[in-house]
Amino acid sequence: MNTDFQRIVIIGYGKAAGEILKYTDDRRADYGYALEFIEHEPHALSVTRQICEERGIPFASMPDKRELGGYLGEIREKTLIVSASNNYLFPAALVEREHITIINFHNALLPDYPGRNAPSWVIYQGEERTGITWHYVTAGVDEGNIIIQKSCEIGPDTKAYELTERLMDLACEGFYECFDSVLQENAATRPQSFSPERRMYRSGEIPGNGFLDLTEEPEKLYRLLRSVDYGKSGIFPPLQTEAAGARAEVLRYRKIAPEKRKEETDMLYLPLADGNLLKIKYRML
Amino acid sequence: MEEKVLEILEEYCEEALDYTGDNMMEEGVIDSFTVINIVSELEDAFDIEIDAKYVVAENFRNKEAIIELVARLLDE
Repeated sequence: MNTDFQRIVIIGYGKAAGEILKYTDDRRADYGYALEFIEHEPHALSVTRQICEERGIPFASMPDKRELGGYLGEIREKTLIVSASNNYLFPAALVEREHITIINFHNALLPDYPGRNAPSWVIYQGEERTGITWHYVTAGVDEGNIIIQKSCEIGPDTKAYELTERLMDLACEGFYECFDSVLQENAATRPQSFSPERRMYRSGEIPGNGFLDLTEEPEKLYRLLRSVDYGKSGIFPPLQTEAAGARAEVLRYRKIAPEKRKEETDMLYLPLADGNLLKIKYRML
Repeated sequence: MEEKVLEILEEYCEEALDYTGDNMMEEGVIDSFTVINIVSELEDAFDIEIDAKYVVAENFRNKEAIIELVARLLDE
């Protein structure tokens, strides 16, 4: 198999980055490119460093944007940069270089939900479907031509981390499907069409502005709770609410059957339309 | 307590029960998403807060480490 790409650089974190790294390494024998991995955002449970060590893939940790930009800017050979669960925005000067091609996995069906934390926003907005998009990177955020998309349902109880996991699986599937055509530079792409209502979600934005307003419908509150639920990853600060006239912080929540209700301090129970209860544990601030 | 922890592990990662090594994360027995589920279940079952600083591979290296973590947090 032939490609003009001499080098592949993978940047990202998490499950998708790890699986894509392994796949790209496995395919090295077919094409003969050099492969390396860059970790820009370190994560406590990340296994990409270990994958690199086991397979002899060069690994570099570059949390500093300027250092990373400088490093990528020094690349002289024809290179494919694979951005897999990566929040680093590639500078326009790099994107426009002839010998650099960048593809990115976005965790929504572009052109909808561009920007950050798309799984949160689709849950919060009550969408029933979402998906992933592999696209070429251009100077505009999440605006490049679409290479492949994969979609999935969003269940009524799906939490942000569960959806993220599903989307990472889809990202891997999509990557395996389009990898050869990207390397051989014959991928059938299509441009995105942008509506005037297109809205970019920014990193500082939190669904519901981070406040659980108990006067809202319990279904909406449940969506908000699920939309910011990434376990302990700290992507969003804990939601705040008001209990007994004072500010409180939400610790955890759960949908439970009414017979499982136990009266405890600092706990709220709200009735959901499906007959279950939304249990919310909080602590006063 | 141990029994409850093992019950939770059985629900989310049965393989962890038979695992005898000391790095479930690196050996692919458990992944970060499963850890989120387990943490959430443990917090609810024992009414404890597992701070992010404890959610590291070391504390999830095997079932004994998880039991030890819960015991430590219950003692606090």
